[in-house]
Amino acid sequence: MRIRIIKPGILSTIQDLGRNLYLSQAVPVSGAMDTLSVRIANLAIGNDDNAAVIEFTYADAEFMTETDTLIAYAGDGAILQVGELVIPAEKPVFIPAYTSVQLVNNPSGSRTYLSIAGGFGVPEILGSRSTFITAAIGGFNGRSLQLGDTLSSVEAISPTTAIIFSLLKSENINHTAWSIARRMFLPADTKRIRVVPAHEFSWFHGLAIVNFLSLPYTLSMNSNRMGYHLDGEPITRIIKNELLSTAVTPGTIQVTGNGSMVLLMADCQTTGGYPRIAQVAAIDLPLCGQLKPGDTIYFEDISHQNAEMLYIEREHELQQLREAIQQKYL
Amino acid sequence: MQPLTDSTNKVFTAYYLSEHALTLEFGHEISEDMLQKITGFNILINQNPFPGFRTSVPAYGTISVFYDPIKVIQADDLPGVDCYEKVSNYLNQLSDDSEIQPNTSSILITIPTCYGGEYGEDLEEVAALHHLSTNEVINLHSSAIYKVYMIGFVPGFAYLGGMSAQLATPRKPTPRKIIPAGSVGIAGMQTGIYPLATPGGWQLIGRTPLTLFDATRTQPTLLKAGDQVVFKPIDHHQFENYRD
Repeated sequence: MRIRIIKPGILSTIQDLGRNLYLSQAVPVSGAMDTLSVRIANLAIGNDDNAAVIEFTYADAEFMTETDTLIAYAGDGAILQVGELVIPAEKPVFIPAYTSVQLVNNPSGSRTYLSIAGGFGVPEILGSRSTFITAAIGGFNGRSLQLGDTLSSVEAISPTTAIIFSLLKSENINHTAWSIARRMFLPADTKRIRVVPAHEFSWFHGLAIVNFLSLPYTLSMNSNRMGYHLDGEPITRIIKNELLSTAVTPGTIQVTGNGSMVLLMADCQTTGGYPRIAQVAAIDLPLCGQLKPGDTIYFEDISHQNAEMLYIEREHELQQLREAIQQKYL
Repeated sequence: MQPLTDSTNKVFTAYYLSEHALTLEFGHEISEDMLQKITGFNILINQNPFPGFRTSVPAYGTISVFYDPIKVIQADDLPGVDCYEKVSNYLNQLSDDSEIQPNTSSILITIPTCYGGEYGEDLEEVAALHHLSTNEVINLHSSAIYKVYMIGFVPGFAYLGGMSAQLATPRKPTPRKIIPAGSVGIAGMQTGIYPLATPGGWQLIGRTPLTLFDATRTQPTLLKAGDQVVFKPIDHHQFENYRD
């Protein structure tokens, strides 16, 4: 299967769930900002969770299928349409060859993930297909997608994918009756982000901690795949020690010299020297991946035991979903 | 987040980093002694991985250990009620059971460097600031043996210790928009090599033709924590004709 980029949009890159094994060489994790949406788009068509997808930022992008194609999409940056026809999200969709698909604005989030049967077939670099633009590695030639790029899928597909494809194949756009309700996985309030106090938590003023856990913070314009600068009440310190640079990870919230917070995201550096106030719970990091400048969030503290339990429960639920889809097409 | 076992004789304490990682803290100073201890224990972890171990990141005073929580929680032979406990218990046990050998057998890597001119545009400025000749700067910079304390910032960037205090120079007031890969620079008490073309504020004194980071190599970075580094002056012709 193959698609061609007609309009690349502001930042479209190939991503998977990230590059985890070269952190000691300062190669960042990268990968999708909203990994939950990636996994749902992949699960829906029987792909491996880690299959390479396209991460679109906002809308205003367009691609054309050059073959009969099985896709799914998830995320809140855009709605897929063919002309006036809305393509439903979070379910397998058959798109005939030479159909032009547009991404139309969805104001609720920022990123949309397109999966294709088998995943996009770009080379694996250092154990991942994710794009890291700064070092020009991974993805499609180490860069964001441009007009005219042609992307083929991996030829090997799972038995589930093969069955879904053959059931949906027709003259027209066709999709299953069922869909995955991504909302089931989301909390009622997607702007309340759960965090675990970080190692330097006690370096901050008591009042600053109260502010941190009660006041709104707003993503500044200075926010990208590396991290989000947060505008709001400054976080003051009582312990003014210098921190020796040490490992940080996506979800780490650093406090810079002027008391402003930076939430590190997928392309963040592997080490940092700013004191850390909190770590976003892994279960809520995908919510952060959908934020855009101007969005306001709140933080709520939980224990690290609780964060880990929530993570393991989520993985268990996704595993059950995977098995349910496989069994449906046995 | 206190250590789980009695920690009177512990060489490190553990703290939670994320659902996927914990950090072992060995100390708060930059020293060769600490570097050897950390490099030694880092080798030990990598030689004795636990189920779910992904990678470890050594830094000045810490080693962060990354893992797959699903594999860790399923590992019945790791005692503990959650991943953090299982991994920190395992690492404490590993430290108790093994004599941590300070790693003193470090590899010496030579960095051929063309100093000054178009390759090191700030060499004259650095020399003038310290009332030295450019040759004196080159001699001071290339006669020291440096230690790699950690890799961070961008892929393959080595934090080097051991530069002569006489060369300490503040960063440029305005960072350059782009610095060519291989540039050798000074910032404060540090010297380093830019592995990739990136923006940066370091004072540039030279450039190496070596490739510091290449994603297609099995070991993508030329340097790793614990290595020793020397700079060897080369001229323009040697730079242009250099083959990796």
